[in-house]
Amino acid sequence: MSDGGANKRAPGKTALGIVGLALFLCAWQVIGHFRLAGLTWPPFTEVIALLADPDRWPMLGRALYATVAAMAAGYLLGTALGLGAAVGAHLFPIARPGTDRLAAVVNSIPSIALGPVFIVFLSRESTAVAIAAAHAAFIIYVSAGSGLAAASRGHRDLLTVLGASRLMRLRHLDLPASLPALATGLKLAVPAALIGTIIGEWFGAPRGLGVLIVNAMQNFQIPLLWSVVVLIAATSLALYSALTLLERACYARFT
Amino acid sequence: MTAAIRVDQVSKTFQLGRGRSVEALGGVSLEVRPGEFVAIIGPSGCGKSMILRLIGSLEEPTRGSVTIDGRPPRALASTHRLGVAFQDHALLPWLSVWQNVTLPLQVAGLHPDEARIAALIKLVGLEGFEKARPRQLSGGMRQRAAIARALALNPEVLLLDEPFAALDAVTRRYMNIELQRIWTESRITTLLVTHGVDEALFLADRIVVMSGRPGRIIKTLAIDFPRPRSPELMRTAPFHELYDQLAELLEPVPADSDLAAGGGES
Repeated sequence: MSDGGANKRAPGKTALGIVGLALFLCAWQVIGHFRLAGLTWPPFTEVIALLADPDRWPMLGRALYATVAAMAAGYLLGTALGLGAAVGAHLFPIARPGTDRLAAVVNSIPSIALGPVFIVFLSRESTAVAIAAAHAAFIIYVSAGSGLAAASRGHRDLLTVLGASRLMRLRHLDLPASLPALATGLKLAVPAALIGTIIGEWFGAPRGLGVLIVNAMQNFQIPLLWSVVVLIAATSLALYSALTLLERACYARFT
Repeated sequence: MTAAIRVDQVSKTFQLGRGRSVEALGGVSLEVRPGEFVAIIGPSGCGKSMILRLIGSLEEPTRGSVTIDGRPPRALASTHRLGVAFQDHALLPWLSVWQNVTLPLQVAGLHPDEARIAALIKLVGLEGFEKARPRQLSGGMRQRAAIARALALNPEVLLLDEPFAALDAVTRRYMNIELQRIWTESRITTLLVTHGVDEALFLADRIVVMSGRPGRIIKTLAIDFPRPRSPELMRTAPFHELYDQLAELLEPVPADSDLAAGGGES
């Protein structure tokens, strides 16, 4: 394998990625076309045709809007909770072992098990938001926690010698130094929050992509089921890519 | 306004675990008068940086006491009257030169006096680079920004821990000349830790020589060259005489043969 240097490797990687994607779609198409995996595996073109059908757009659009809105609410709520807990644990180290364990325990409960509890506690609409928030909060808590501890010893010594109070240290050193790790957390929390939203919607939300999945499955609308899955994957990928740009900007600026 | 430092019979011991320990400082006493520039020289690992860390409230002595104007170092740090420059410039990478120099004032909750910050940046020769970030500067420029930051609070004590050690010889010499000029204008009580005998001789009123493991003071030498000192001083005979005298003190003690050659100064 020849090593073409950093500037040559990037286009090569992109080309390989495109080839890989093309092979994947071809395999999908072939398996679907010849029904190699049975009736529940539609050809790729059939899924795309459904997504491209303008008659379907109002329905898909409404569901997509409901899911993204619930996800955004859960994501913001989870980010606020996770960040708040991380900053709290950072300012009051005595609380840290407790919050660490609490976060780990909450995270180890499968969200499928949490769903019915939220349904009982909250409304059907807010269950999706709650599970999305729980997923995002854990990731943000962990990433912000490690970010807040990322400042170098030299910088910490400097702030000590300058007589910085805890809040000044947080504002001028620990928070800015935490931004790259936090940006990584924000990026990783997007797919997690989306999964949480979809799971939450399965428990009987009035609308959303999760609801469409369940309905399509129960009514054996196989191409629709797959279309919704493709739509979810595309949404997740688009948001993830956008936050990757934010993450890169943070690394360039704050390290 | 400037302060007096008193280091009294200070020892610092580190526990290595399993009952083993290492003594970094073994009963060091040192007094620095207000407005005096004292340089500490000694071999690597002799605990000279530890003395600065103790005065900077970054470490606590195992035995003995460190006081600044009769109070613990923490009191000076927490009232924002201490200036430091380390070997690692420790500039915050996300701040510009201007913001880095202003940082001590912001941390102290003081409103930055723009004219004063501008004057400090001019003093260290970084005019026109106010908006530059540390990564855009050369090593020497970063150290100069760190010196400006150390002076931002108008400190009563200035601690310099090998601030120019990472620089090349030419830049380092230039920085020494600059620091001499800056210090002569401000006359802050200053403690400089260095490997460089010439640096110490050129800058200090008094040189303290330390030996290693445990760190002890083996000699104190008053340097009477008049101020302001010009670079020509480094080419005079008295300068070279003192240099040789100090360099000899820093040479490793022959252990059991005379083969242990080579200078201790790096």
